[in-house]
Amino acid sequence: MILELSDDALEYGRQARQAFDAAGGDELVLQAEKAPGARESLVGPVLAGLGAWELDPRSDADGVEAAAALCRAAGYWAVPYPLAERLAAPTDLDADGVIVVGGERPAAAVAGLDLRWATVDVAGNRAMVSGHGEIQPGFVTELELSSVDDAGSGDVALALTLPCWTLLGMLDRAIELTVAHVTLRKQFGQPLASFQGVQFQLTDAEVERSGLDILAKHALWSATGNRPDAIADALALRLAAIEAADVVFRVCHQLHGAVGFCDETTLSWLSRHSQPLRRLPFGLSATREELADVAGRRGLAGLFA
Amino acid sequence: MNPAEAEPAEAEETHHNPSDSPQQARFRREVRQWCREHIPRDWRVTQSGVDEAEFVRFQKAWFAELHSAGYAVPHWPAEWAGGPPTRGGDPVMSVENQDVLYQELAAHDAPRLVLAFVGIHHAASTLLVAGTEKQRRRHLPAILDGEIWVQGFSEPEAGSDLASLRTTARRTGDSFVVNGQKLWASGARHADWCLLLARTDPDAPKRKGISYFLMDMSTPGVDVRPIRNAVGDSHFCEIFLDDVVIPADNLIGAENAGWQVAQATLGAERGMTMLELAERLAHAGFRRLVETAPVDDPVVADRLAQFEIEITGLRGMCRRVVEGAAGGPADASIVKLYYSELLQRLTDFAVEISGPHAHTALTKPMSSGWESGSWVLDFVGSWEWTIPGGASEIQRSIIAERGLGLPREPSVA
Repeated sequence: MILELSDDALEYGRQARQAFDAAGGDELVLQAEKAPGARESLVGPVLAGLGAWELDPRSDADGVEAAAALCRAAGYWAVPYPLAERLAAPTDLDADGVIVVGGERPAAAVAGLDLRWATVDVAGNRAMVSGHGEIQPGFVTELELSSVDDAGSGDVALALTLPCWTLLGMLDRAIELTVAHVTLRKQFGQPLASFQGVQFQLTDAEVERSGLDILAKHALWSATGNRPDAIADALALRLAAIEAADVVFRVCHQLHGAVGFCDETTLSWLSRHSQPLRRLPFGLSATREELADVAGRRGLAGLFA
Repeated sequence: MNPAEAEPAEAEETHHNPSDSPQQARFRREVRQWCREHIPRDWRVTQSGVDEAEFVRFQKAWFAELHSAGYAVPHWPAEWAGGPPTRGGDPVMSVENQDVLYQELAAHDAPRLVLAFVGIHHAASTLLVAGTEKQRRRHLPAILDGEIWVQGFSEPEAGSDLASLRTTARRTGDSFVVNGQKLWASGARHADWCLLLARTDPDAPKRKGISYFLMDMSTPGVDVRPIRNAVGDSHFCEIFLDDVVIPADNLIGAENAGWQVAQATLGAERGMTMLELAERLAHAGFRRLVETAPVDDPVVADRLAQFEIEITGLRGMCRRVVEGAAGGPADASIVKLYYSELLQRLTDFAVEISGPHAHTALTKPMSSGWESGSWVLDFVGSWEWTIPGGASEIQRSIIAERGLGLPREPSVA
């Protein structure tokens, strides 16, 4: 069991965050929203520069930690690119990445990119994406699928886990932005941060975020060890990630006040682009149901098995 | 009449509210009849995604329709609302009948009065409490004719701490010259008049140097800019005020007593308007959710049952507040806080069970409230309740201090 990323992975994550900053930081998602077709040219070079496509998260322990750190850094800037999905690409299909799908109308935030996508459902059924629908908010598009096989159960855990790392990076940022806001904004002659009612809301959000942080490492370790519980652990992580995101964004929006819903604040963009990660392939209730199905009466092996 | 056609109406007539007095039951029948005849059946469809001009036209037409029935301003005194004389300042319609009216409008899914809201509640209440006879004669009939009002209170540095507002009004002879910026002015683009708070004595303690004005929005120097929010909606606006001249006659209440006037009239938002919203949440909102939810799922059914309990509690609380039964000093804050957070949880749950495609349905019927059934928009809109009008944090402080008698939070101010 590993509950900390290696120093190398942490350092890689720091460098990635700086590289995204240098490439435009918050501007990346603003520009991509104006022109979704430019996502590859906006983000592709910086990812190539970071050596993202040389990482081998499916077979290399260092690679998976680096991939997780990279996704977290991308989430911090709401980098408008399906990075986690690409890093989780299966090794035995001719695909640039893999998307976990569920529900009757599979969809993913992959609009505007010319890439070959495989999909997998929790049961391991795989398909190739053969067509897209219209571009919807958050770069989401519905997917047309051509069935391939049912041999994808080994693809599922990592493909569920890495997007949660992206979401974790978004929560890091949301809390950072909100701490800055309540420290700066004064009402009643003092910073909002000096009110204990405000502090306690933020501490509740931070508790959620740090719980997710630990679970994300556990699920990453579980996914790379081909453990029998890997899919259940990944679903448990996803459930925790959605719940944490609900709390963190609710608190951050409330404490930002009305301006948090206006696009001149970064929180507004971050919150909007967190939605596809939280709702796709399945939202809170459906994730809970998937987890209940997979874990059954056996339950999770847990951290100390 | 064909008996088959008569049947639904008769069935509805026999459905009493057991707590109605005979008089209320008669009034309920009258309102039901009116609703069946006057509420446009297809407004949710025809008003979805319409432009601003059509929205304004529809709102004004609906207001006129309600007014002609005596249903637009039932809380106004008869002297101003029109109708049979009442004692003193009593409303033209009894509180018990107002309960019935709002229940039935909600049950029949009537459009909401969005544009008239500030005029018929805040402006009217301000005029009735603090206005001169001349000001009342100028504006109250005009409001009934469709004059639209906006509230110019919040500023960039004065949100929860409204008393720290910085917009200034400098007296020069018979007028005031106003400079500053107002924020989060709902519907300012369509407003004819503005309820404006501005600082008239910069040297006085902050609550004692504020005055309250009626400002004509067509005055030179008034610049309204819509603020686009995260879901593309722009009904909140900024109002920039650049050397705007307001005649001294448009001061309402005494100079430098604006804070007291505002305190006396802000409560207009809290009584019957909350009852109306609670009824709308129960009918237009919750009913629609139940009808579309996968109720065969026991988890969903369980959550819906929980919401039903909470909504029932909310409706009861609202009714107690408007009927003035013995309550606590913080009841209005309790109702606002409870409604806000219930609305947020309910719309969040609706989003959760509506599936991903609900996320891309970003149009809603204009003239609906925060329970339009376009759940993502309703959920985002729910923050208009936990943040403005006294944020949930402020309501909690009021409940702690006035309701429970706890000490005030230590302040460095």
